[in-house]
Amino acid sequence: MSSPHFLARLYNDHAQALFAFLLNFTRSEADTKDLLQELFVKLARQPAMLNGVRDERAFLIRLAHNLAIDAMRRRATRDKNCELFAVETFAMFASSADADEQSFRQELAKALGGLPAEQRAVVHLKLWEGLTFEAIAEALDIPPNTAASRYRYGLDKLRERLRPLYDEIK
Amino acid sequence: MNTDDFEKQLEHQPMRQIPAAWRREILDAAGSIHNPQLSTVSSQRTSWWRELLWPCPQAWAGLAAVWLLILGLNAATREPARVAKTAHASPPREVLMALREQRRLFVELVEPFPPAEQVKTFIPRPRSEISHRTVTV
Repeated sequence: MSSPHFLARLYNDHAQALFAFLLNFTRSEADTKDLLQELFVKLARQPAMLNGVRDERAFLIRLAHNLAIDAMRRRATRDKNCELFAVETFAMFASSADADEQSFRQELAKALGGLPAEQRAVVHLKLWEGLTFEAIAEALDIPPNTAASRYRYGLDKLRERLRPLYDEIK
Repeated sequence: MNTDDFEKQLEHQPMRQIPAAWRREILDAAGSIHNPQLSTVSSQRTSWWRELLWPCPQAWAGLAAVWLLILGLNAATREPARVAKTAHASPPREVLMALREQRRLFVELVEPFPPAEQVKTFIPRPRSEISHRTVTV
């Protein structure tokens, strides 16, 4: 297994999902890029990490999550960042030609920013990665019940906040 | 609003695409860290072996052959020695008799001297008795 091909294959298969997860989790494009690069550097240094891994995507998401948590702890500004991200408007979703749709996506991005990071991670993995609660629990190193409850709390908050817009576009 | 519909609505929101330029940057960064390390480590190992062996590989081969010969000879000579040792495990009777005779002679040479007599230890008399004898003479 040649390493450049190995890394390129991993990038092709998983970079988009990791990008979306990290972008939603960190709420920062610069941090997302740094973390993604850190993740691939780590994989380049220790390619054997993936030996025997059944679900590469789940493993890489777990790795990305751990790196993001470490980075936030290092900076010791996690709560402050979350508050800032909550009011920050940034392009997390693809832009839409439809004005209502575009408005909904922008509000959804803001609403996601209002969730605690760990709730946001669970909501993201459930909605946009389609993982089961067991897989989410494994990826985030939490019990499945915790994953399920975080998802419910997060979804309730999103629904509450997006109700008017959702009713409009429905 | 129905929760299932709402979830589906959220699921259908497409995420932004990862910037295309990142691919090259990230893979280059990972590759630049990975390849030099591997190549330097492997080249260091190779160069170390080359430095050790390359100057005269025939000499190393000869040395290895000599060591093999020594080990072979050692293994070949070890077995008869063991056999010889086991063959003479119990000494012959003549040797035992000679040893006993030598021991007996040694005992005879040592024992003929009578036990040393106890030396009479001089016990000085008290000074008062000495002076009394002088007076009587």
